[in-house]
Amino acid sequence: MKERESIELPRLGGLVLSGARPILAVILALLVSAGLIWAAGGNPVEAYAALLDGSFGSAAALANTGVRAAPLLLAGFAVGLGFKAGLWNIGGEGQIYLGAATATAVGIIPLPVPGWLHLLLAVMAGFAGGALWALVPAYLRAYRGVNEVCTTLMLNYVAAYFVSWLLHEPTLLAEEGAFYPMSPPILPSAHLPILVKGTSLHAGLILAVVIGVVLYFVLRHTPFGFRTRMVGLNPEAARYAGVGVARHIFLVFLVCGGLGGLAGAGEVLGLKLRLFDFFASGVGYEGLALAILANGNPLGIVVGGVFFGSLKAGASKMQIVTGIEASMALVIQALTVLFVIAIGFGERVRLTRQQQEKSRAEEGAAHGPELHQ
Amino acid sequence: MRRGGEIAVRMVGITKRFPGTLACNNITFEVRAGEVHGLLGENGAGKTTLMNILYGLHQPDSGEIYVNGREARIASARAAVDLGIGMVHQHFMLVDNLSVLENVILGLPLKRPPLLDLDSAHARFKELTTEYGLDLDPSTPVWQLAVGDQQWLEILKLLFRDARILILDEPTSVLAPSQAERLFESMRRLADEGRSTVFISHKLREMKEVADRVTVLRDGHVVGTVDPGETSPTELARMMVGRDVFLDRRPRAPSESKRAVLEINGLSCQDDRGVPALRDLSLTVHAGEIVGVAGVAGNGQLELAECIAGLRRPTEGTVRINEELITGVTRDPSLLGYIPEDRRKTGLVLDLTLEENLIIKTFDSPPLARRGILQWNSIGNRANALIQDYDIKTPHRTIPLRHLSGGHQQRVVVARELHGKPALLVASQPTRGLDVASVEAVHNMLLHERNRGAAVLFISAELSEVLAVSDRIVVFFRGEIMGELNAETPDINLIGEMMLGHRERAQAAVGGST
Amino acid sequence: MDLNSISDWLQASLRLAAPLMLTSLGAVYTERVGVVNIGMEGMMLAGALVAVAASFLTGNVAVAAICAMAVGGLLGVVHAYLTVSRRGSQLISGAAINFLALGATNFAYARLFATERARVATYPVLSPPGLRSVPFFGPVIFAQPVIVWIALILPFVFAWVLYRTSWGLNIRAVGEHPQAVASAGLSVFRLKYVGVILSGVFAGLGGSALSLAELGYFAPAMTGGRAFVVLAANVVGNWNPIVVAAACVLFGAADAMQLRFQTLGSVIPYQFPLMVPYLLTIAALAGLVGRTAVPKTLGKPYDPETI
Repeated sequence: MKERESIELPRLGGLVLSGARPILAVILALLVSAGLIWAAGGNPVEAYAALLDGSFGSAAALANTGVRAAPLLLAGFAVGLGFKAGLWNIGGEGQIYLGAATATAVGIIPLPVPGWLHLLLAVMAGFAGGALWALVPAYLRAYRGVNEVCTTLMLNYVAAYFVSWLLHEPTLLAEEGAFYPMSPPILPSAHLPILVKGTSLHAGLILAVVIGVVLYFVLRHTPFGFRTRMVGLNPEAARYAGVGVARHIFLVFLVCGGLGGLAGAGEVLGLKLRLFDFFASGVGYEGLALAILANGNPLGIVVGGVFFGSLKAGASKMQIVTGIEASMALVIQALTVLFVIAIGFGERVRLTRQQQEKSRAEEGAAHGPELHQ
Repeated sequence: MRRGGEIAVRMVGITKRFPGTLACNNITFEVRAGEVHGLLGENGAGKTTLMNILYGLHQPDSGEIYVNGREARIASARAAVDLGIGMVHQHFMLVDNLSVLENVILGLPLKRPPLLDLDSAHARFKELTTEYGLDLDPSTPVWQLAVGDQQWLEILKLLFRDARILILDEPTSVLAPSQAERLFESMRRLADEGRSTVFISHKLREMKEVADRVTVLRDGHVVGTVDPGETSPTELARMMVGRDVFLDRRPRAPSESKRAVLEINGLSCQDDRGVPALRDLSLTVHAGEIVGVAGVAGNGQLELAECIAGLRRPTEGTVRINEELITGVTRDPSLLGYIPEDRRKTGLVLDLTLEENLIIKTFDSPPLARRGILQWNSIGNRANALIQDYDIKTPHRTIPLRHLSGGHQQRVVVARELHGKPALLVASQPTRGLDVASVEAVHNMLLHERNRGAAVLFISAELSEVLAVSDRIVVFFRGEIMGELNAETPDINLIGEMMLGHRERAQAAVGGST
Repeated sequence: MDLNSISDWLQASLRLAAPLMLTSLGAVYTERVGVVNIGMEGMMLAGALVAVAASFLTGNVAVAAICAMAVGGLLGVVHAYLTVSRRGSQLISGAAINFLALGATNFAYARLFATERARVATYPVLSPPGLRSVPFFGPVIFAQPVIVWIALILPFVFAWVLYRTSWGLNIRAVGEHPQAVASAGLSVFRLKYVGVILSGVFAGLGGSALSLAELGYFAPAMTGGRAFVVLAANVVGNWNPIVVAAACVLFGAADAMQLRFQTLGSVIPYQFPLMVPYLLTIAALAGLVGRTAVPKTLGKPYDPETI
């Protein structure tokens, strides 16, 4: 077999290609949803106009989009970082619950400390809560090789029920006499500051964006990030290079849990200002979709998160103005993801097939004549 | 050259292209009934692809196939099986969690659909195992079977379907010599029954032992079809490779060092399955010398390299490099350079860029990282320097390594490992999968390091290159060193005996010759 | 706790387990062929809504069941296409199907039932006269809606198919070693497609059991994570249809217990029995309860070129 030294796929072309696919998917999703809206007796153009207006049409709308996007970004990072390390953290939902619970626990207690410190402690508690929830799956995966998809998935429901229990016990987090299981209000000293007066846009968004930037920097410019990428791409080579693979996976997994916890803490300390029973409503899974579609890339997660956030923000406006229920936004969101999968993986598949032929051809020339066997 | 009845299979003008490679180039190949026909060639010569076409797994771009005189279109494995063709692949096609019998009947057309007809299958299974003298329990789950038995199971699958043409792809790669003997006996027996066997291999000795005729492939075309009984091994090798195989011994200044760099004492360890891989091994390598480790692959060489590199913990004994005891992975580039056996799996991260691959051991200390931040400038400079020094062909240092050819990927590994001028260099099968020019470059590199004063441990399954490159040779068998010789004046017979584990015969040979 | 209340509890257990057991029939098959389907939650939900809608429109429960199976099967085709043909991420496809079903069912529910909350035809209770009066077991088994009977019988049928037919053998093989199956001349794609579509069909039927077994109405997001309990049952039951169904009964019993805790009050908080399926699964995966037989290629897309 003769050797080849050609380089396939110029880098710029690849970048353009990877940006075009999600856009095409969005367009297809909007088209199909327009059909559904029309079938339900509505006017798609009107509906989409309202959607756009409710998400980007005013300062209040933008603030709304930002509020909705913030937890999605953090949930996305919680999965995306793991993805870079070769981990599948499906437990975002559970980590959100635990982070919210621990942040609440700190946030409802009047601590004799200055306000900003109270907030900081509550946020850190949120991180710790999420990390704690990831402890068992992280250990099982790093040191026992147990696949983390199922373990993290199962713990999502355990978390929801566990937090629900906390919200039913007055000695724990429950507010007495409430009509719906909820915690006492978060004390003002532990509130995330509002960024734009008159809106609900809170500093959680800033936190999310900052973390995104930090993640990007860490992955690209630090030894820790380099180690992470090595472990994710080829753990055997990482081991050969002297990386303590198990320990690194364990650490990264905990950080992922912590990021999920921050997503929950942000919701509770910034938006809802109380812990409500079963408040998470799928944010963890949306973060999963964002992370995988963006291939763990923080920038992609931000763009996707803003898109999803805008859909949610615009949905209520759409319902008010055109009578098309807000649940249609969820349909659009889901269709987008489905179309991205349908279109998006074609490129990668074709490329890998070429690679496989090549590697098989090379793997081929493994032996020369063995004369003295 | 004993047999040959009617022509059972005739493949004419077969051409098959894959993206970027011409796997089969106008191949014409025929097999007679009742013969064992060897298909010989270096891996990548097109043997497996040709047989995959016969078995319906690939479609040829052009050419015809005739089975028993009639033209056949083999569009799928099922079509091949219907024509009486069966194939045992290099990687077994067995389902671990199912039983032996269930594996045998997988995909068989049903007598009483939809029911699984285990009873009649059981009866026929017993018939076959008795006939061929096999000891297989039909209800054993396959994951419990030893590798040799698994291979018999694969062959049994073919016989169950009354395959008249059997294709065996490198069957002896997983067998011990005695098991291989049994296999050859059965092949002869099948031939007596009128069945044909196509036996794919790159091992000349086996061809001579069992094949009636041998077709040699090289680079996708047929070099010739010969009777192995009347062709010398040298001639066969030359047909396979297209050049004279015996490499010239590399000239060198005599090694004069006496300082021990690598000291291995009483080393024992286990392989991944818990079986002892090294037994009480002791070895010393001095500065400025190349010690070649000869031996059939799989006799502990991999585990030896891993123990030296700190990737495997020994159960007994010690490894010292420059008097430092090795207890874990050594990252000090001035101490050890290790070129691993499987560069794609172990030595490189193909999805990282070229420059990133050059730093996988050194990325967290100055000058490549300061105060916790990677210094991409320094990294880039280092990469550019190494690209130049080692003549690595690439448009840019930030290309993902996946896009480089195998030979240049290996150069990246070499560049990285040698950059720190290590005291000890361990090179494990470093020329595997490389073309002639790259092989030569690797040999040059080894000698260069030796002349610089490094201690070099060179592990290779290709005896010819071990002979050409080393100063001293040790022969490995089942985790022990059978003997040690000077490479200047090697006794090939002695080495051969040692490689087969015949220590007594080796000692007798030594005794006899003095 | 007297015998009567235990009998009541067991009766409720079977009824609550029925949606789980039905869904588990397909769940075993899809994981056996190597495809994870977390979208069964959405398929159940869609089945629940469509069953109610069809029952409302036609008054015929059998038609409702078939419609539920059809919509589940349709979503199953989507999942199969994305994961088998396009080799996409099985987790994302499943998650997206869940969102889709949630959004679509909420939308449809608001449209169809906002104004009228009519009662629809439910699965009739099957109660052979003599057997019903058998003490203790009578009410437990012989006073259940017909769908519970179906849920009790089908696991045996599915187990028989899996272990005693040659097609079942192929199913058992393809999730472990698809290349071996291909090499034997069989179609890997077809086997995977059927496995996934079955999971959709029976998740749909399970959803209908949820909405039509007794209540006769749909509530938004009424599946409440049941499909994930089924995934848990797969692990605990080691992918054997009968054992998995038994695990579903166990989990149904836990569910029935927590309902009683809620109404009657108890020392153990009611949330804890609800956690049992999930904790048990983790224990099983961690190897605390014996060897698990996870299908080897579960979650990995099949590339036909890798022969």
